[in-house]
Amino acid sequence: MLNYSNVIQNDKSYPGLQMREIKPVMKLIIRGKKRQFLSAVGKSLNLLLPNEANTSSRSDQLTALWLSPDEWMIFSNEILKTDDNNYNVEKLLNRNICKTNLGAVTDVTDQFVLINLKGDKIFDLFETGSPFNFNDFKSKKGLVTQTILTKIDIIVHNQDINDVNLFVRRSFSDHLFSWMNDSASRL
Amino acid sequence: MFLINCPFCGEREQSEFKAGGEAHIVRPKQPTELSDDQWAEYLFMRKNIKGIQFERWNHIHGCRKWFNMVRDTSNDEIKAVYKMGEKPPVK
Repeated sequence: MLNYSNVIQNDKSYPGLQMREIKPVMKLIIRGKKRQFLSAVGKSLNLLLPNEANTSSRSDQLTALWLSPDEWMIFSNEILKTDDNNYNVEKLLNRNICKTNLGAVTDVTDQFVLINLKGDKIFDLFETGSPFNFNDFKSKKGLVTQTILTKIDIIVHNQDINDVNLFVRRSFSDHLFSWMNDSASRL
Repeated sequence: MFLINCPFCGEREQSEFKAGGEAHIVRPKQPTELSDDQWAEYLFMRKNIKGIQFERWNHIHGCRKWFNMVRDTSNDEIKAVYKMGEKPPVK
């Protein structure tokens, strides 16, 4: 990770809700349409990319989120030991995807901030500022959605019951986190 | 406010989308042979009818994909949603 100042300084805790930033975590966006692209990614990472809309798939080390029919986000499940921007996964995909003209790989580690939310009030918080209907979403593990929260683009990954990953662009993360704290304090 | 059924993501609220104007406008094959009026007609003139309209929309806060929609502008009823390149399912 590049030496950016940490936008989210402290973990926050409210009744039924805990919020904290998880870092350093590798995040990549991969794009491709061909069938060979899907199989090349599968073989390279030992991870099948989710074909179905709004779903995710997971291996021991990586999670892949469906973003659109030809776009996925891949992030590391564990916190990385080294705080730099050299990722074997990215090198592997560059070699097997980019150089073979099957698709594109973009490192978005520093672009997105990963906020982890835990507790039974997560979706009560989201419902105060998002137009998305979370009724079915919250009970199904592994679902993914891109939507807006207080007019900010977010990616929500329902990692487990009462355990949600939220990805937001770094430049919006400070404002979003302070809004979430303000909103959480009123739940 | 109304709900739009994105052909890729499913039903979402209108505020996640951006309207992209009239659909199925064909670029002239020989632009150099057109008069200025004909070229301006192609570039700028759009229908703004009360009734069934064919439109392009973008799921800008979701999958960021473009798609087409048939909408009744008088009551915002969505008659059909279909992907780019597909023929309209209604006339």
